[in-house]
Amino acid sequence: MAELTQNEKRLLAVLEKEKKADAPHLAGLLGATPEAVVQWAHLAQDNGLTAVERIVAKEFVYTDEGKTYLKNGLPETQLLRFILPGTTLADLQKHEAFRIGFGQLRKKGLVKVEGTSVTKTSPASTDADESALKSPSAADPKTRELIKRGILQESETVRYTIAITPQGLAVARKGLDLREETGTLSREQIISGTWKNANLRRYDVTKLPKKAYPGKIHPYQRIIAEMREILLEMGFTELYGGIVQQSFWNFDALFQPQDHPAREMQDTFYLKETLPLPEGYEKVKAMHISGGETSSTGWGGVWKEEKAEQCVLRTHTTSVSIQHLANNPNPPVKAFCIGRVYRRETIDTTHLAEFEQLEGIVMDENVTFGNLLGILREFYHRMGFEGVRFKPSYYPYTEPSLDAEVYVDGIGWIEMGGAGVFREEVTAPLGINYPVLAWGLGVSRIAMLRLGLKDLRYLHKSDVAFLRETPSLRKTKGGL
Amino acid sequence: MAVITLPYKYLERLTRTDRKTILDKVALIGSDVERTEEDHADVEFFPDRPDLFSPEGVARAMRGYLGIETGLPSYPVRPSGIKFTVDPQLATIRPVLGAAVIRGVKFDDESIQSIMSLQEALHWAVGRGRSKVAIGIHDMDTVKPPFHYIASRRSRGFIPLDFTEKMTMDEILEKHPKGRDYAKIVKDFPLFPLIVDDDDHVLSFPPIINGERTRVTIDTKNILLDTTGTDKRAVAVAVNIICTAMAEAGATIESVEIGGVQTPTLAPAERIVSVQECSRLIGIELTPATMAELLRKMRFGAEPAGTDKVKVQVPCYRADIMHDWDLFEDVAIAFGYDRIIAAPPATFTVGKPHPVQVNAALAREAFCGLGYLEVMPFTLTNEDVLYKRMQREEKNGVLHVMHPISIENTVVRTELLPLLLEFLTLNRHRELPQRLFTVGDVVLDCRTHQQASGVSTHPEADFSEAYASADAVLHELSIDYTVKESQDPAFIDGRRGDIVSGGKTIGVFGEIHPAVLTAFELEHSVAAFEIDLRAVPGYPAL
Repeated sequence: MAELTQNEKRLLAVLEKEKKADAPHLAGLLGATPEAVVQWAHLAQDNGLTAVERIVAKEFVYTDEGKTYLKNGLPETQLLRFILPGTTLADLQKHEAFRIGFGQLRKKGLVKVEGTSVTKTSPASTDADESALKSPSAADPKTRELIKRGILQESETVRYTIAITPQGLAVARKGLDLREETGTLSREQIISGTWKNANLRRYDVTKLPKKAYPGKIHPYQRIIAEMREILLEMGFTELYGGIVQQSFWNFDALFQPQDHPAREMQDTFYLKETLPLPEGYEKVKAMHISGGETSSTGWGGVWKEEKAEQCVLRTHTTSVSIQHLANNPNPPVKAFCIGRVYRRETIDTTHLAEFEQLEGIVMDENVTFGNLLGILREFYHRMGFEGVRFKPSYYPYTEPSLDAEVYVDGIGWIEMGGAGVFREEVTAPLGINYPVLAWGLGVSRIAMLRLGLKDLRYLHKSDVAFLRETPSLRKTKGGL
Repeated sequence: MAVITLPYKYLERLTRTDRKTILDKVALIGSDVERTEEDHADVEFFPDRPDLFSPEGVARAMRGYLGIETGLPSYPVRPSGIKFTVDPQLATIRPVLGAAVIRGVKFDDESIQSIMSLQEALHWAVGRGRSKVAIGIHDMDTVKPPFHYIASRRSRGFIPLDFTEKMTMDEILEKHPKGRDYAKIVKDFPLFPLIVDDDDHVLSFPPIINGERTRVTIDTKNILLDTTGTDKRAVAVAVNIICTAMAEAGATIESVEIGGVQTPTLAPAERIVSVQECSRLIGIELTPATMAELLRKMRFGAEPAGTDKVKVQVPCYRADIMHDWDLFEDVAIAFGYDRIIAAPPATFTVGKPHPVQVNAALAREAFCGLGYLEVMPFTLTNEDVLYKRMQREEKNGVLHVMHPISIENTVVRTELLPLLLEFLTLNRHRELPQRLFTVGDVVLDCRTHQQASGVSTHPEADFSEAYASADAVLHELSIDYTVKESQDPAFIDGRRGDIVSGGKTIGVFGEIHPAVLTAFELEHSVAAFEIDLRAVPGYPAL
């Protein structure tokens, strides 16, 4: 049995004498409202100490309209009284009860209209209706009709009687502590020391608390933050760059041929804005056309300045890292960028037109493809993925290229990102003389798996309830 | 990506081993096995390796990788004695022609399917949807050499493939399904490219459709291959890939004379590469002999040449070998990615966060302390949300994407607050109070910067709450500011303030205007504010 509240105790004390009484009576004795007494009685009933009986009584009340009819008779009765031999319809129409009463008379078949004269059918009587009005009864169809007409209303009155149970009586007889209870301790009670004699209310610890919602960062932001911290720990410098990039930095500097399908309108968001090409762009142009001064053949064909000047919403954060490399050609460079990128995709549950990409680059003397595998393995291990493997892949601006796969219990090997060494065709025109290791991964893919989302859009059009319910610390196992 | 169907029996016959051995290892040369069915597998290959877009090409590579047959495959070519003339008027229309004669073809269901699929895959990967390269194959025994590649009047007619009636070329572009698909490549030219034989029979209207006359069937014995396009290298690659695939299937290849030159030669290209450079790039120990052996496994001709060099013969079908490093990747693949020691680089470096992200994290911390919940709206939105519903004028420098995917995503956001109001709309049915914030990028005039915004909605949300919350965030970010009355129509007059710092308006706060609430279908008052984070001391110039 839960601890009794002060009010339950007071109620039991009164019921010890009264045994059984209705709520208003008990309320009078306890100096409370009947509603409060009923509430206390329910609490005590949960503890088996009282029995609460709910008695529902139905009664009929007259609407304002009904009250008038009770005095003057129903409209049809009034008309019946008015109709005398020779009464015309026109006469009748002048009667104030005509609008409602005449329809009723017709409906009940109590009048006949012939030409302009109105006569009663015989025997025309509304006695049964009048009697239903005067003494309504739930079983009487005439009463139901009056309710429908809005003349009568049914109303329920609820009464409670409260009785003490034998168990309640036993508790009451054992003696009840009826001292005044203290809820929140007051400053006064604390400093004066009166708290020592206070009867501190005891709370029921089995009851659930009222929900409180802390302010917190988005679960997706938390995953981004985790990756960011891992990379900072691994000695990488964070980059931040613009969403709008020139095609030159987004594509051309990365040796993406100008007729590459990824550069077409249906895959990339183009803007009408253009920006002037950077100094030294001719080297990139020469690389595309003939391979510049490297062992490359280049793509051949033509390379148009206008195509390179056009602005796009960046399709990868590589546009940011390549500019960082061009501005910092001296080794070592270890940098990463996590940012929104854009692809002109039709939006559905697994495709968004904008999503976060993580990208890391390492440029140093003597770094190798093997070092790239080492960095990736370390990164994925720190993300919690124990099994990591690599397989050949293709990216236009890296050579050699690879895809990294991680092992997830219950799913198997899943692709987690691509990587490679920047082609010399990318680095040479920008004056970068050392190998650049680069890798990227879709952050939202991990988020979707970790948060168990079926729809990627949910990351960006989130339900507040989902955000409130997703704990800050998620139990992860094997990276998910 | 190209998904290639590999029928097991045909693949096993060509590779000379069992399907399990092949499928276990095929991913290790660079592919994804998409599906394995009872009689075939569907395998995806990368766009840089069009030579793998046929069972013949895959078998050739796998024989090398599995050690069944290594080194440079040889494809003898003898002259057919057939000439092809090229009309000089094509120089501005579709100038490049490649051709070959393929004799002794023994088609069965698998090999004819294979050549048709290869043709389609090449159209996509090398031909850029036929604009750069288009391929036609013809039953040679139905036509009479020499052949002529001409610029023809558009009204000339012939019976196109899959039709029984003669149509003019203009009609083909209008009525034939292939004509409609590819009309955009040629429709603006005054004359159309056409290939005819010496009796003036039409073989093909490149890059659109072949003639019905030269249709290739399972009984075809000798093939004439035509390849037209705009890029010499791409046309040659397509010819080489088809000829070598057919040779793998047992046919013999003969050259054709175009402009006095015998083509194709199917001869390898030569590269001399440094062993040390390769060894340093991949991070493995190599000698000229071991490197040459690995390259032979990838079907290159390779012999050691001195202490640091390997002389490599690159097969004519390897269009992807543009640079020495492309060969080094093949060395790494032959070596096995799983055998390369994965070790992080030894250089010591210290991690350094970007100040913009440091500020963003501090702003988030302040919002969270105030009980605000973070949301991460999209950056693409539309003028209705951004301006119309906000009763605001469209700003100068708003970026409109040129080909939006829907009317919902037409512009890049210039502020965050409207997107937060949209969030409140989305969450109308959720428990109040709701306090939401976001910190993120906005773009104006092609320049990106960060802003922060918060909204609070509940029956008592008011000006005082907006002011107090904005003040708290500004204080935590050390932004010194003053406030003056705002004219922002998104807020109620007399209940709105502009945040001024360094002589510039850097933000706004107040009670959202009821008309704006109504536009967002909101029923409770909203206290809101937005701050331009460029006002944070030390925000870097970008």
